[in-house]
Amino acid sequence: MSNAYLTYAAKRLGQAVVVILLAYVFTFVVVSILPGDPITSVLRNPQNGFSEEEIAEIIAAQGLDKPIAVQLWNSLSGFLTGDLGVSMRSGRPVSTLIAEVLPSTLILASTGLAVAIILAMAVAYGTQFVPKRYGQGLLRGFPSLFLSVPNFVIGLVLIHVFGFQIGLFRVINPDSFWATLFAAIALGIPVSAQIAEVLIANLDREAEQEYAAVARSRGIGRARLFATHLLKPASLPVVTVVALTIGELLGGSLITETVFGRTGIGSLVQRSVSTQDLPVLQAVVSLGAVVFVIVNLIADLLYPLLDPRVKILGGKKRTPTTADEVSINTTKAVAS
Amino acid sequence: MSFVTTSVISGSRSRAWLSAFRVPPTVAISFLVVAIVIAWSLAPGLFTQYSPVVGIPADKLLGPNLNHWFGTDHLGRDVYARVVYGTASSVSSALVAVVIGVVAGGLVGLLAGFFGGWLDIVLARLVDVLLAIPKFLLAVIVVTAIGFETINAAIATGVSAVAIFARVTRAEVIKTRQATFVEAAFLSGGSRSFILWRHILPNASRSVLPLAVLQFGESILVIASLAFLGYGDPPPASDWGLLISIGKDYLKWPWLVYAPAFITILTVLSVNRISRWLRKTD
Amino acid sequence: MTERSSLLSLSRRRLLITTSVAAAAALVATTGFNPAQAADSPREGGDITFLIDSLGDTWIPNNSAISSFQGHIWGHVTDKLLYVDADGKVTPWLAERWEQNDKATEFTLHLKSGVTFSDGAPLDATAVVANLDIWYAGRKAEGINPIGLFPKTYDRAEAVDASTVKVFFKKPTLGFIPTLGYHGSILISPKSIAQPASEQADLSKTSGSGPYVVESWKEGDHVTLVKRKDYNWGPAAVGHTGPAFLDTITYKLVSEPSLRVASVQSGQADVAYNASPQELKSLKEEGFGISTPRYLGFVNGWAVNTTLAPYDDVKVRQALQAGIDRQEIIDTVYTPDWKLPTSFIQSNVPGATDQSALLAYDPAKAEKLLDEAGWSKGANGLRTKDGKPLEITLHSNPYLATSKSVDELIAQQLGKLGWKVNIRAYDVVTYGEKVKYAGPAVPTYEVTRSFIDAGTVASILTNANNGENWFGLGESDAKLNDLRDKIAGAASLDERNPLLDELQHYILEQGYFVPRTQIVQRIYVQSPTLKGEVYNGVAYASYYTAFIAD
Repeated sequence: MSNAYLTYAAKRLGQAVVVILLAYVFTFVVVSILPGDPITSVLRNPQNGFSEEEIAEIIAAQGLDKPIAVQLWNSLSGFLTGDLGVSMRSGRPVSTLIAEVLPSTLILASTGLAVAIILAMAVAYGTQFVPKRYGQGLLRGFPSLFLSVPNFVIGLVLIHVFGFQIGLFRVINPDSFWATLFAAIALGIPVSAQIAEVLIANLDREAEQEYAAVARSRGIGRARLFATHLLKPASLPVVTVVALTIGELLGGSLITETVFGRTGIGSLVQRSVSTQDLPVLQAVVSLGAVVFVIVNLIADLLYPLLDPRVKILGGKKRTPTTADEVSINTTKAVAS
Repeated sequence: MSFVTTSVISGSRSRAWLSAFRVPPTVAISFLVVAIVIAWSLAPGLFTQYSPVVGIPADKLLGPNLNHWFGTDHLGRDVYARVVYGTASSVSSALVAVVIGVVAGGLVGLLAGFFGGWLDIVLARLVDVLLAIPKFLLAVIVVTAIGFETINAAIATGVSAVAIFARVTRAEVIKTRQATFVEAAFLSGGSRSFILWRHILPNASRSVLPLAVLQFGESILVIASLAFLGYGDPPPASDWGLLISIGKDYLKWPWLVYAPAFITILTVLSVNRISRWLRKTD
Repeated sequence: MTERSSLLSLSRRRLLITTSVAAAAALVATTGFNPAQAADSPREGGDITFLIDSLGDTWIPNNSAISSFQGHIWGHVTDKLLYVDADGKVTPWLAERWEQNDKATEFTLHLKSGVTFSDGAPLDATAVVANLDIWYAGRKAEGINPIGLFPKTYDRAEAVDASTVKVFFKKPTLGFIPTLGYHGSILISPKSIAQPASEQADLSKTSGSGPYVVESWKEGDHVTLVKRKDYNWGPAAVGHTGPAFLDTITYKLVSEPSLRVASVQSGQADVAYNASPQELKSLKEEGFGISTPRYLGFVNGWAVNTTLAPYDDVKVRQALQAGIDRQEIIDTVYTPDWKLPTSFIQSNVPGATDQSALLAYDPAKAEKLLDEAGWSKGANGLRTKDGKPLEITLHSNPYLATSKSVDELIAQQLGKLGWKVNIRAYDVVTYGEKVKYAGPAVPTYEVTRSFIDAGTVASILTNANNGENWFGLGESDAKLNDLRDKIAGAASLDERNPLLDELQHYILEQGYFVPRTQIVQRIYVQSPTLKGEVYNGVAYASYYTAFIAD
């Protein structure tokens, strides 16, 4: 491993830590603007019949009125030592709540990612094989279509067709194999669009490279050219794109879990938002940032090792890192 | 009725326009769809005789028919009229989101890219923070903080798009700054603001435009998703996302979901197609 | 302050006879099957799945017992001292009988013996004292709230012997006995009560004495209850006291109403809670069981804020009263299972009288009243007075799913009269913060509220004695104050009922309260094979007596 690589790695690691800390503070500030809290809202349930004076008394008894800065300090120091606090809504430790629902979301997100990658590869590689006359244009339009359909509509359709009409899965058992697969499809379709866009753009670019033209002139078939020359260089950047879609998967799980009735991070957020349960929201958003930053850190650190063409340009100012470069490529590819 | 005549007129117009400019047919159709959507949002009354708010309770939950193209809802209101009248809010909220993203993100990217140095480092980290929080999660948190209304959902969506615009603008600015003609302008003594205004901004905006158009489509979807989760305007508002969200409670009458969903998908698809075309002709 | 219940004047012996007869009658009335058949047909065994829209927030018993969702689980896991049926009749349960002193400041409860909590602890006098104490005081610093409607006049309770509890109050408190049958008054094992709040929040660590115990639960996902085989102390009023028939009940969260119903329709689940009323008709035709039990309480309607112009004008309030077509609400948003309001309290509440004449839809009368009040119709159909539009802002009640649809329909009805109607729909949290009785910018507060005894109604309408001042009247309406005081001081039902009738007439005639429909806050759709469930006074379904028919 070269010195330049180690310097680069150390720099990226430092950046990651700074970003996580800033994300925590940012979330805290946004979340503290929230007007209400779950404790008061439970007290205000009309069935309870508490008067305003009684509510004020109970709130005061719990000491819920410390200054923001003190709260931030307590919360941040807790976060750094691994203590995520106690949910105001349920009264249970936030770490327990998250641990309970995390497996379900991980299964959904990883299946969704697998669906997205397979779908994207099918579409992208298909564009290299399907001739123009036989619907290559249609295939190229797929990512655009995938990006245009709200995933809750996909979810509702899948539930109705496969859950109720065909009866492949039971809505009340959303963790079963088929239910998970269809939830993953609903989650994966919009994500696949982004991966497919990048893949198609890369394949097209590689196909225009000199070496590809040379290979073609030597009479190499379409399939062999694709398999031996285009596949690897065109697919490598996908590592970074996939890392960038982690946020998409987490965000999308919010909707997908609600539609499919799964109990995961997304539905936890949904419940916490509806009761404005600050500690839980704070923890989930920060963890989302941590996951995103770590996954991207790994992708950035792996990428130069996987693709020897990428040079580490340490030291030189204002040179975009690979993550910058690829993320711009992604958005551009998506836009193109 | 009015719908058909208008579409015929604008159809023939755009065909002439298209042959002059060599626009692919799908792009022409996309422009047509967008034109209709804009017309709906500007003058909904021209496209339907029904009220989106007051219905005939006795005619509730009718299937699509000649009088009610998209059927009627649970209060006997014409769903087509509700879609048409809801367009203005759906379109304008998506516009608000894009404007926030482009202006705030563009400014950050411009400053970071143009001035570089410590300002770039600080802004880049802030953008990293925004980028690190899952976009939809960020939008949900922001909309919770500022209140459940469509305009707030639009603001939240805009905020969640700031990072991406900042990144693209910054990259474009850096690229342009290093281009020979800008170096030349610096050497020939052009002032910073002049160069920024005259050379860098136009160049950067060229690649931001297709992204902004794309973001417009995405904003429609994000705002609809927020509405689906219940973070939208109160009744009788009829934004597309709200219509889908209300319709999902009446799945026995599927047109209540599929009609607004179809319009949403068609619009976003058209916008995406236009964005792609803009990118190619650039 | 509550009025003496008729039961209190009966002798103990007669009481028990009356209640068992009433119980049998109630069973027939509520479940609709032949008792002779019922005696031998309930089949042992079976599992049911109940689909519910939410499982509420915390499981700390004191904080969650009144939750519309968690109440279902508590109803099976815990018992109460008294039972209140769908008609408001109070009958013995774990308290076999009770006595009180003349001033109603001391009560003696005699407990059934042999009752145990699922953790093995006996449900004896000490346990009841521990429960009474925490209902009254909670542990506020820890986040355990008191039970909101428990009498604030509570002083202390003493265990006289293992099965006798003496309860002392600082002031006369007739409301104490009915409160024991209220859904907040669930009996929890003293060991569970002693746990800190964070342990109480774990449902599996809380023990009750009910016919079911918690087998497993996952936050936001499900609660599975399993039958307790040694249970032998069910309320006589439901006609069964032994162990339950069904082996397990699983409460499963499915947040979309249409998916809950579709699951029951396709045989994937047995009960769907809170279906959309629009779907009920076709479900009924398909043979599914539909229950729309009404709870004892206020009807769904508005408490009008008299401090806010123009609703300080009785004519405008009366126009509002006459300008709402309640039948159209039932025809459009609901089904014939919903009932027109006859008063501002539900018609099944003992003491409710028929005031339908005051609630007739009469747009001509409404227009005339508005004209008289000086609100003239302009060219655009909207009414104005001194340049100000006739406006009303409705805050849809987040606790009632159909509230928004009803608001939209009423907006159309009032729109025809020249009213400009705005609708605000807040989430539960924001609603709690911003929308209050007689609050600024809240012309009408939409009421959804249950109560156990009609005697408590009068006292919450004004601000006397910790009242809630629903109409913003304070102490300004002498007639209302007079009625309130007389009702509180009435010595018997015969004395109280005419006063209640007068109160209902006066409030509706003044347009202080504008009823919409009788409220059905809990809608059940169930599979045709599930039979024998019982609905109590707060409209909760109990599957303790339910079984699966072949």
